Amino acid sequence: MTAYLIRRLLYMVPIVIGVLLATFVLFKVVGGDISQQIAGKNADLETIAEVRHEYGFDKPLFAGLTPLAGDDWQAARQDYTAAIKNERQVRAESENRSVLPISAFDLDLKAQRKWLGDLFRQRLNAHQFGGALEMITLDSQFSDHFKHALTFNFGRALDREKISDKILLGVGPSLSLTIPMFIGTLVVSISMALLVAFLRGTVWDYTIVILCIIGLSIPYLSFIIFGQYFFAYKMDWFPIFYSPDKPMIHSIILPALIGIAAGLGGSLRFYRTVMLDEIRSDYVRTAFAKGLTTRKVLFKHVLKNAMIPIVTNVVLSIPFLVLGSLLLERFFGIPGIGYLMIEAINARDFFVLNALTFMMALLIAVFTLLTDICYAWVDPRVTFD
Amino acid sequence: MYSTTLLRPKRLWCWSWVLFFVAGALLSGCGKDSPSGSEAVVLNQRLRAKIQTLDPADVGDTNTDGVCKEFFDTLYQYHYLKRPYEIIPLAAAQMPEISADGLTWRIAVRKDVYFHDDPCFAGGKGRNLKAADFLYAWKRVADIRTRSKNWYIFDGKIVGLDDFRQYTKSCPPEQVDYARRVDGLTAPDDHTIEIKLVRPWPQLIFWLAHVPTAPIAHEAVERYGPDIIKHPVGTGAFMLKQWHRGVYVEAVRNPNYYPAFYPTDGMPEDADAGLLADAGKRLPLIDRIIWRIMEEDQPRWLLLMKGDIDLNSIPKDNFAQAVGFGKELTPQMKRLGMRLTTVDEPCTFWVEMNMQDPLICSNKPLRYAIAHAIDRMRFIDLLWNGRGYPAYGFIPPAMKEYDESVKDGSHCVYDVNMACQYLKEAETLYGGKLPRFRLAMGGTDFIYKQMGQFLQRNLRDIGLDVQLEMFDWPTFLEKMTTGDLQLFFNGWMADYPDVESFLQIFYSKNAPWPNHGYYNNPQFDAIYEEVSIMPDCPERVDLYRQAEKIVIEDMPCAFTYHRIGYIIYHDWLNNLKPDGYKSDTIGYGYSKYYRIDSQKRDAYRKQLKHQDE
Repeated sequence: MTAYLIRRLLYMVPIVIGVLLATFVLFKVVGGDISQQIAGKNADLETIAEVRHEYGFDKPLFAGLTPLAGDDWQAARQDYTAAIKNERQVRAESENRSVLPISAFDLDLKAQRKWLGDLFRQRLNAHQFGGALEMITLDSQFSDHFKHALTFNFGRALDREKISDKILLGVGPSLSLTIPMFIGTLVVSISMALLVAFLRGTVWDYTIVILCIIGLSIPYLSFIIFGQYFFAYKMDWFPIFYSPDKPMIHSIILPALIGIAAGLGGSLRFYRTVMLDEIRSDYVRTAFAKGLTTRKVLFKHVLKNAMIPIVTNVVLSIPFLVLGSLLLERFFGIPGIGYLMIEAINARDFFVLNALTFMMALLIAVFTLLTDICYAWVDPRVTFD
Repeated sequence: MYSTTLLRPKRLWCWSWVLFFVAGALLSGCGKDSPSGSEAVVLNQRLRAKIQTLDPADVGDTNTDGVCKEFFDTLYQYHYLKRPYEIIPLAAAQMPEISADGLTWRIAVRKDVYFHDDPCFAGGKGRNLKAADFLYAWKRVADIRTRSKNWYIFDGKIVGLDDFRQYTKSCPPEQVDYARRVDGLTAPDDHTIEIKLVRPWPQLIFWLAHVPTAPIAHEAVERYGPDIIKHPVGTGAFMLKQWHRGVYVEAVRNPNYYPAFYPTDGMPEDADAGLLADAGKRLPLIDRIIWRIMEEDQPRWLLLMKGDIDLNSIPKDNFAQAVGFGKELTPQMKRLGMRLTTVDEPCTFWVEMNMQDPLICSNKPLRYAIAHAIDRMRFIDLLWNGRGYPAYGFIPPAMKEYDESVKDGSHCVYDVNMACQYLKEAETLYGGKLPRFRLAMGGTDFIYKQMGQFLQRNLRDIGLDVQLEMFDWPTFLEKMTTGDLQLFFNGWMADYPDVESFLQIFYSKNAPWPNHGYYNNPQFDAIYEEVSIMPDCPERVDLYRQAEKIVIEDMPCAFTYHRIGYIIYHDWLNNLKPDGYKSDTIGYGYSKYYRIDSQKRDAYRKQLKHQDE
């Protein structure tokens, strides 16, 4: 088993690198420059440039060039700055528009990049490959991204709060909501699935299947709006929204129940199918023929043999518990990770999204490994070869 | 071989049920955040979005502004009751002494103002407010390392402050010397500020009532560093008790608040409205404020009905339930003891046209056609439940410079025939059928989609092919700034009661922000440059109206509507008089005037419970 574990852990290395690359491309390359957004709508160009510098957005994406000893930028600065200005003027004229404003900082940066590019090409043309190679630097946005993720130091969010603090604060409320929801859905749906599988073809089976389909057809939001209006406002059984004056338990019961009710249709149908597959097996008929009680057949034999799909479904769902429930948290004011994620999406806070995506990917990788280990526990036929 | 005893199905099943109950038991212990002082008089507020920061230098949105102003008193404030709006001293001892040339302002600071008690001060006791605290706060806004969103307020206006900003660029972070002299910002004594301006700036008085100019204690900034965003150590009537980001903010009365009193005079109608019942009483009149952050309309509305929040704007979907004909509450709401107040907001919304786009820039008839094509009344009725006025120009009716005759010369009047006529002219000028246009909306929620579809249909009705583009706000902002949009729905709310706030949007040197449409008219620019340094006088009003006419003639925007704010509140909340500039009534330093009748609130809740039973 140890060899198996080591092998699987090693497999995770390329997965993590792949996730880092994917999140980098998604948030840094496709997502674009968010400096203006960070600096605020009234920010001047200098402030935006300062933001760009502080967050490292002015660094090259993957790799860049750096001057060598003896390369004198100050001597070349004036010419290159003028060249950049000229280029911008020509481009604006060709596009029949006025020149877009640029900060002194950005102008300098562009000019310096152009100068470095020229130096690099000159060295290549002069066959000074060593010097050209020496100019290449890996101090880039990608290396920063890599470093932050591996050290779990995700920095500060757009609202300048530490991302690690935000995540730590959100995990508790999210789990408080999702764990009871998860266990509740699991317990109720498997119990009922066993029952309806046993009563297959009867009016109970049909009724429950129809109810499941109705449950599946109703949008999640409708469950929330109805539940909040009816049970919290009309019946006054639960609070409408999280209140700092009351312990959080009061605010979590109703969303958890709504979550269970909304999720029951899908789960119940899934587990019913799993149970039916088993209940039709020869060994079940044999067990009944041997005179075993229904309870023994169902719980000792059927449930045991249905464990593989159940374990897969259960263990792989666990990482998602951390993410909370986006809509429930938002409607009931539960300060969890789901809430945090919605806020980050709305604000295009790529720092928070990036951190959450990376953490999620890690959790999924770890829990996939756990699922495989669980297979061997629940089914002795599975080995770690 | 591994032991599977615990995982045998039957036992596993028992374990599942045990876990279910354990999780339930765990829940009972989680997150108890019970604020103290249950006997205190509490104002239950609501916010539509989370608070970004509690650092006044970095305030950049209305929610943050509204809450921050409760913690930070500025030099001046608006008179709570008087209309038109009147500036009166707050932390200042009196109105500023302004030199004849308008370039030097001398402001006396009250001597009895103290910062909130906080561990950053010796012994945890808030110290006396000094003139130097204001200078520090303003230099902090100028410091590039602070990355303040509010540098635009001071940019190019105070002698030496721009140089100070340049100096901070060369400083390593945390090493900026705030004692460095700025010629335009001095403190002749502990309680006097002297400001020297580059050119006259009459609007400065309004900015001195704006939270980014509020004083902040350097001790707090030094102690908390980047976490200053969580420590609003100001001199306001309320102090921060708890802040759970994205969930709630709780403030309590500042026991050391200077002797401030409820105004004894207001408008003639204020006495009848009961707004002078507390005249002369010591402020604040409440002990605690709790802002709960609720982004969704439903919980906000249900909490209002339940009596768990005291006031709210009216969500679109609940409007018919709340308001009947003639801007009156429905009988159901009246029975519940609700009250309604409306206020004209100094804002204008429009379809902006990018004047950098060669087709739009060179084709005035096209711009006129677009302006005539929009059915403003239907837009307001259908999408905003009638909560607005049609806009013919940019000056809103809420401002005293509004001219009712503006409609006569404006193309912003719905007239399909005129629109078609202008469109024909536009096509002749273009030399054929006009290409497809892009109309961008700065939001992706339902209401933006509905507005976009409405405008698209109006334009299609006259024969313009328009493609709708929906962007989230940051992308929209970026595209506006880079001039990537062609037609886009935009708007402006005046920062202060001076039309100059609107004029800046059309000043050519303000492109791309706030002049997103790259509008450029030298005649308009000349007027703007003249009026922006002119004190309030009848000539200035004439010039404002002239400037508006120039814009209407050029029509870089199809003005659409001016908004009316509706606030519904329970009758136990007294002294509510909304300010059009802050019509969402989430705070803005006005909470100190509110009085809550807690007994009435308790009775309402009891009655509601009784009805349920």
